[in-house]
Amino acid sequence: MTTAVAAKPGEQAEDNPVVETYTYYPGCTLYTKAKSLDRCARLAAEKVGFRLEEMPSWVCCGAIYNTSEDDFAGRIGAQRNIVRASALGDRLVTLCAACHNVLKRAQARLNDPANAVERQRVLDFLDEPYEREVRVLHYLEVLKNDIGWEALARKVVKPLAGLKVASYYGCLMVRPAAVLGFDDPENPQVMDELVRTLGGEPTGFDFKAECCGGYLVVNRPEAARVASARVLDNAKSWGAEAVVTTCPLCQYNLDKLRKPGKAGELPVFYFTQLLGLAVGLPKDELGFDSNAVDPVPLLEKRGLL
Amino acid sequence: MSTSDDGDRLVCQIEELSGQRVADCYQCGCCTAGCPLGDLMEPGPARAIRLLQLGHARELLDSDGIWLCASCMVCGSRCPRGVDYAHIAEACRQIRIRQRFSHAGPETVTAAACEEIPQQAFMAAFRKYSG
Repeated sequence: MTTAVAAKPGEQAEDNPVVETYTYYPGCTLYTKAKSLDRCARLAAEKVGFRLEEMPSWVCCGAIYNTSEDDFAGRIGAQRNIVRASALGDRLVTLCAACHNVLKRAQARLNDPANAVERQRVLDFLDEPYEREVRVLHYLEVLKNDIGWEALARKVVKPLAGLKVASYYGCLMVRPAAVLGFDDPENPQVMDELVRTLGGEPTGFDFKAECCGGYLVVNRPEAARVASARVLDNAKSWGAEAVVTTCPLCQYNLDKLRKPGKAGELPVFYFTQLLGLAVGLPKDELGFDSNAVDPVPLLEKRGLL
Repeated sequence: MSTSDDGDRLVCQIEELSGQRVADCYQCGCCTAGCPLGDLMEPGPARAIRLLQLGHARELLDSDGIWLCASCMVCGSRCPRGVDYAHIAEACRQIRIRQRFSHAGPETVTAAACEEIPQQAFMAAFRKYSG
């Protein structure tokens, strides 16, 4: 296959390659505090050769998966999205690590034969047709499995040469591993592979799946600061010049939850910002003005801007 | 200290809500060792489960530790016995919240924090802290 698009055999005409389109769930934070995660992803997808089509009438995923056995209502928002997405196709692409985690777990719960009674009650309540099983895919899974690293490498016009990046996955991308099925929960690799594909240098990193403190920032900011500082200090100890993440809350806790103006801090990118940079999006589309630690000096030093 | 009947009833409720069996834990301490907030959390995961094994559910429900859990799932992910303390802490919070207890509600957030912090944090925190 010569194009980067993983079209099914027979779907692709020689002179008119089918652009694979994925139903896309952005979630609330990507519309407000994490616009660059969303915008770079949409624009980079066009460069790489696929398209994100936002599902209409999506609702909040709930931001955190409710594990209480009897709390059907706590999961119903996420399951409503799954059911609505099922009318549009058999895939739903996410970007926010929290949305991904919640939607994927809510979907697994809905489809688990052991929960048949709960499933029926939920579907009766939703009163919308559940057309087919929907696979919840993270954008990184699309890049790795559908596009493939080799094809993506051919789309790189500005290799991130010499940029030492620590890939930070946090909790929600990898746990619980049995449901997420995404990557090694202790030593995940997909973002390291992406950084390498884009021409950068992934560093070692002990705390790539350690918690940043998450939502404790709301009422226990000191606890979140302790957890996020430990993650950053470990990245620095491995020689990282920057950190890359896919979670708006990880990005906030690592990038913005520290003493303003403290010297020597690492820029914290969304992976879509680095992807966008490497596939040739112009600087003003990359949203670097939303980063608290300005990444521009580092990127200029490496000749990338 | 709770009476044993009260304690046993609450332990059953926690086990039902969480889908976990506290007797499965053999107290190796792997959960507390890996907990990113283990040095701040009182009781930490292993001690919390031990309290339940001994029927002291009330002590755990009244503790600060259940509110400090960030649901990062490292404890359950590494447990050699398949016990997920994050689910247990969640069940404890749910029991308190269903008794109309609010650990922290939207009224605790400043306007400045609202401007700064991503929405997902508020959604997650208030679902964990006040239902």
